[in-house]
Amino acid sequence: MRLLLSAVLCLSLWMASPAVAQDPVADRAVAAAKEYVKAKGLKDPKLTILLSSLYNNSFPDFAKKWEELTGVKFEIVPLGYTDIPAKIMQESVSKTGVYDIFNDFPYTMPDAAGAKVIIPLDDFAKKYQPDFTGIADGLKFQQYYDGKLLVMVNDGDHLLMVLRKDLMENAQANAEYKAKHGKDLGCPDTVAEWAQQAAFFQTKEGDTRWGIKFEKGLSGGLGYRSVNFSYRHFPLYMKGLLFDKDMKPRITTPDGIQAIKDFAAAVEYMPKDIQGWGTPQIYPYWGSGQAYSAVSFPSIFGFGESNPNSVVKGKQLACLIPGQMVDGKLVRRSPQAAGTGYMVSAYAKNPELAYLFIQWFTSPTIGDDAVAHPKGFWDPFRLSNLAHKGILDRFGADMVKTTIENTKYAASLLLIEGNYEYFKVLDNNLADVMNKNITAEEAAKRIEVSWNKITNEIGRDHQIQIWRKGVESGIYLDKF
Amino acid sequence: MADTSTSFAIPAPDANRRSAGRFARWLASEPVFRLIPFLLVEGLFVLIIVVPFALTIWISLLKWRANRPFETARFAGLENYEAVLTNDQFWLALGRTFYFAGVAVALELIIGFVLAMLVSRCTRSRQLYTTIFLVPMMIVPIVVGYNFSMIYIDSGPLNQILAPFLERFGIDPRIRWLSHPIAAQWGIIIADVWQWTSLTFLIFLSGFAALPRQLVNAARVMGASPWQTFWRIELPLLKPAIVIAVIIRSMEALKLFDPVVLLTFGGPGTSTQTVAYFLWEQVWVFNKFSFGAAASILLLVIFSILIFFGVYMLISQRRTVEGGAP
Repeated sequence: MRLLLSAVLCLSLWMASPAVAQDPVADRAVAAAKEYVKAKGLKDPKLTILLSSLYNNSFPDFAKKWEELTGVKFEIVPLGYTDIPAKIMQESVSKTGVYDIFNDFPYTMPDAAGAKVIIPLDDFAKKYQPDFTGIADGLKFQQYYDGKLLVMVNDGDHLLMVLRKDLMENAQANAEYKAKHGKDLGCPDTVAEWAQQAAFFQTKEGDTRWGIKFEKGLSGGLGYRSVNFSYRHFPLYMKGLLFDKDMKPRITTPDGIQAIKDFAAAVEYMPKDIQGWGTPQIYPYWGSGQAYSAVSFPSIFGFGESNPNSVVKGKQLACLIPGQMVDGKLVRRSPQAAGTGYMVSAYAKNPELAYLFIQWFTSPTIGDDAVAHPKGFWDPFRLSNLAHKGILDRFGADMVKTTIENTKYAASLLLIEGNYEYFKVLDNNLADVMNKNITAEEAAKRIEVSWNKITNEIGRDHQIQIWRKGVESGIYLDKF
Repeated sequence: MADTSTSFAIPAPDANRRSAGRFARWLASEPVFRLIPFLLVEGLFVLIIVVPFALTIWISLLKWRANRPFETARFAGLENYEAVLTNDQFWLALGRTFYFAGVAVALELIIGFVLAMLVSRCTRSRQLYTTIFLVPMMIVPIVVGYNFSMIYIDSGPLNQILAPFLERFGIDPRIRWLSHPIAAQWGIIIADVWQWTSLTFLIFLSGFAALPRQLVNAARVMGASPWQTFWRIELPLLKPAIVIAVIIRSMEALKLFDPVVLLTFGGPGTSTQTVAYFLWEQVWVFNKFSFGAAASILLLVIFSILIFFGVYMLISQRRTVEGGAP
């Protein structure tokens, strides 16, 4: 009996210990949070997070776990992601101290940092040692602004390409394509090749091709072209950086003008209404099997596999982002189009406690659990995801492998102050070109003038300094 | 000690009561009592209108973007006003706003008027029709926006209804309601007309109900045709109601914001960007608080002139009707 009891005790100790042994980053955060609460004598300690409402059905599970581990409760204030930046900036003016943590895209960080509504986390990081191993440079260094750690990210939203494997492997289609283009169908290496495949697969409704009747037609390509989305996809078409080292826009260079042309031309192979579509329209369209290819957030693959109405389950192929030929070399750039991060408010009541939660939540084990959460929108982004059963089950091993491979090409969007205004100018002019209101050359000129104006308004010297630091850190992959 | 404390305790309430009584009598005195409502109203006016307004003017004179702390703001004089007046997008958004407001209000007036006329002549089910026609106005704008975003999908119900007619004229029935610049503008106008025709309908319905029946009956007895009765008697008498409807709806339509945000976010490009959306974007997306403050002051001036003109029209219409009454 005594032997049995000892065995049970040993077993339970062994079962309890892996967390300590496996993820010291999370455990350090938990232990420090408990210590902090005790040392400060906090009664009913609480953290308040301004949360993107996308995570309403998943984040509370982690908040509850954190409370169980540390006794620190969570108040969650959900808000649509389009409204969060404004809310953060309001806090910079009103200084209410209502929020401890802000959850939003990394590219909200520059304005928030400029307004000093978020605080650098370097001292806390030095003290508690978070773990950023296994995260590609383009994603890792987007957490820094002006050399300071300001946001911690637990999400890869770098663009991925998905294809219809069943159509690609269709022998008749493949033979026809090969006869026409001299190459087998497969993941396109370049954006130009993607356009070629998209044109090939573009099919009118009611047509029968390769033994398949397309009742609703088939769009050759699918990608975001709507308001507030164009700018996130444009870097895919741009060969190199948006500015030179003196913040002179490169959009008026031949590369820039060609990028605008290619970006606008792709709408020909997309659904007619694409310029009014966001994720709620694009994902179901892809799931309904009406497109051959899509460049989107990686979660589109998960949607295709798990949505009950999806007809593309088991028929998807994840591909690396197509690139551009630069000086005879293939250069891939996968823009980090969104990606959720966590920042500590400068007016938080307990900033250190807020940081500790973020370290725990973005630690390898808890972070991986979040990515695996069936109701979450966190996408794979770090090497440890490859060994997590929940993530592999949810997304499929091939997709996770491709996504992680794709992180090597992940490039940040513009991480400088005023980026929303720079983006909007780009967005509006791209729309005008797509609608054939103006030429690519006119758009480039307008963008250049407006971008220079914004740079001068914010302060050219300041912008140049931050831009150069960002480029040097490797977040845009390209160098001067 | 006990005595002392008692002797201190007793006179206090008396003194308080006496001073309270004196205060009550002072308040009740004629000159003071008459001033109370005035002071309350003035106080609220200062607090609610003057302070924020003064603050807006002050901010409009600073050089400040919210992506820098307020402490870094510097006085910039009329720099922001100049920036607004030389901003193409501001003028384009203003022009677009007048276009939307003009078309939407005109349609709302016509449809509302016709509906009100028909319902006022209904002998049966008048209450039912009145209730049905008022429903859109009572729906929360976010619901209207969501519903229309579904209706406007290129394979959605609106295009399916229009398809048989459009195909006859060789027009592609898949109208890109929210992604084609012109169609998106009409998409916004239709949503606004659908929701706010109810209001013009209500105003006109009350106008029809208030028409002096004896004048209409007298005209009929004297042999006036229905058209003559409408054109010569009813329409002139309805002019104040029309002016009210024009003013109220124009004032609202010039602030058009909800359907723009809910349906198009000002796009594609800037084709559906109204001046309210432009302001919101400048302030809450681009953090240009000073610029936004200057733009809003300028808009206030422009809209005030229009409202003043509208109110002048209303007063002169009233005078005409009242002056013409026997």
